[in-house]
Amino acid sequence: MSASQSAVRSRAEAVKVSRTFDWLILFTLFFVVLGGYHIHYMLTGGDWDFWTDWKDRRLWVTVAPIVSITFPAAVQACLWWRYRLPFGAVVCILGLLLGEWINRYLNFWGWTYFPVNFCFPSNLFPGAIVLDAVLLLTGSMTVTAVLGGMAYGLLFYPGNWPIIAPLHVPVEYNGMVMTLADLQGYHYVRTGTPEYIRMVEKGTLRTFGKDVAPVSAFFSAFVSILIYFLWHFFGQWFASTKFVEAA
Amino acid sequence: MNILKDKVAKLSFVALLITLTAAMFYTPTASAHGEKSQAAFMRMRTIHWFDLNWSKEEVAVNDTMTISGKFFVFSGWPETVDKPEISFLNIGIPGPVFIRAGSWIGGQLVPRSVSLELGETYEFKVLLKARRPGDWHVHTMLNVKGGGPIIGPGKWVTVTGSMGSFVNPITTLTGETLDLETYNLSNTYFWHALWYGLGLLWVAYWARKPLFIPRSIAVEAGKGDSLITPLDKKVTLGFAVGTILIVAVSMSSTNEKYPITVPLQAGLLRGIKSLELPAPTVAVKIEDATYRVPGRAMQMTMTITNNGDSPVRLGEFNTAGVRFMDAAVAQDETGYPDDLLAEEGLTSSDNSPIAPGQSKTIQVTASDAAWEVYRLADLIYDPDSRFAGLLFFFDAAGNRQMVTIDAPLIPTFI
Ligand SMILES: [Cu+2]
Repeated sequence: MSASQSAVRSRAEAVKVSRTFDWLILFTLFFVVLGGYHIHYMLTGGDWDFWTDWKDRRLWVTVAPIVSITFPAAVQACLWWRYRLPFGAVVCILGLLLGEWINRYLNFWGWTYFPVNFCFPSNLFPGAIVLDAVLLLTGSMTVTAVLGGMAYGLLFYPGNWPIIAPLHVPVEYNGMVMTLADLQGYHYVRTGTPEYIRMVEKGTLRTFGKDVAPVSAFFSAFVSILIYFLWHFFGQWFASTKFVEAA
Repeated sequence: MNILKDKVAKLSFVALLITLTAAMFYTPTASAHGEKSQAAFMRMRTIHWFDLNWSKEEVAVNDTMTISGKFFVFSGWPETVDKPEISFLNIGIPGPVFIRAGSWIGGQLVPRSVSLELGETYEFKVLLKARRPGDWHVHTMLNVKGGGPIIGPGKWVTVTGSMGSFVNPITTLTGETLDLETYNLSNTYFWHALWYGLGLLWVAYWARKPLFIPRSIAVEAGKGDSLITPLDKKVTLGFAVGTILIVAVSMSSTNEKYPITVPLQAGLLRGIKSLELPAPTVAVKIEDATYRVPGRAMQMTMTITNNGDSPVRLGEFNTAGVRFMDAAVAQDETGYPDDLLAEEGLTSSDNSPIAPGQSKTIQVTASDAAWEVYRLADLIYDPDSRFAGLLFFFDAAGNRQMVTIDAPLIPTFI
């Protein structure tokens, strides 16, 4: 078999092979992204994503979009500039959330018995879908960074509110006011996570009174734009092919 | 072609294995058995737990038990550990096998972190409700920011029954009663499933058509823009508008359904009340202290002065939760864990009562296998080789006085 000989014999066969290739690449991409992104997100978003008593109006809202827009930006860069495919962000979130759900269900619940209603992951889909949509509709990295990044940050809190609002109903517990989420954190003992390492409701936004969530979301959206640019370039660089001339 | 296919398939499989392993590696800390590996000086010179009581040794699922007692925040707190200005009363159990239904220091509920003062004694209580059957080692525990977990004595408790029957009813301020064990679970699954489904739909829309090779060829040829059809744009617009609509509608319907919500409650609790203990009328001066490695015994020469008005005798030496007792003076009646109790572990060269006004120098030996088992003897490898503990003196009427000691320790190897 010489090197110049084609591996396929007909157009139909070429199409079939190309399609097989599609599925193999998609499958590999999905799991590679799942692994890398999941580890990245656990190391940077960690406890904010693990526990309901960390999901507050200030830091969770700020941190989660900023650290999670990374892989979507990079994978978008690769899939869009090389293939004009606009699902980079959503593919990342599909992978991340599958990994997270496996981890939360098997380890947090199955192995350590933390109830799932206490340790479920955050929902990152609304921002990711809009991010992909903006990229397709505008075909511009700059507009995607600004509009898409903004939407990614802003949609995070409202996108999670239907899931966490029921846990923010107040309870009077032995003479103190707590949310149900606080009570989960108190009841379901975590020996390795003492209360003081919880970073919630801290910061200098107190002057905004009740409306800290929108302010945090805008701040997060702004930083998300910057992070988007950075990781988009990482993605582009990573996806570029360089040929080295033989000596 | 088959070779290529095999290679990609193999690579995919390897990637799958790696990622599944990666996804599963993280489990929150469940183990609570760090007590012996914690440096001896940490256990001897930070928090002294005493008067501990585990209310039950066997408890059925949904039933409660308490762990109560006192802890003394040692005045000679080691410099290498941050002071307990931000600390949290925890409980050392392997994960949520019990739920912490309540915990109090000095009568104040402490679901959050507290500020404690050196040299003070605090009364505490932890109320536990059994959740998962099994034999569990239940430790007292205080987390100190900058110091880590300080684990106190542990006792085995058996939980019977089945976890399936565990319930955790809570009544909210809005008057609703719910089971926190399963509350909001189906709502969580519903929204996650809905959004995951939408994400899959989005990728499926694009994956209907050939993906990588033909598109790559087109892009390389400069015809990338022809890959996006007007229909693609319409569908995309639909997804974007639909997403924003779902978010907006679900948010407002949630606000209608839960009109009253409050932010997470956080912040340090200050002003925790300590126990008002009368100043001890017994003074102790440690003349010297040696640890005999082969005999697993610590020998102290101490001068005791009784400034009170009734004769006293030394009944107990307590360090790192290990209680060395002189059975002739004091006995444990609380079912203290066997491995931490040396009922006759304390002997004195002369333990006749010390009369009021009298001063006496005696030799006291605290010996028990616990020195080795609990690795307290490792103290001799510490940089500052000091030991510390509590001495309890008793008068004929059973009145008890607590005196703290803190002195250098010299090992002997013969
Ligand atoms: Cu233990």
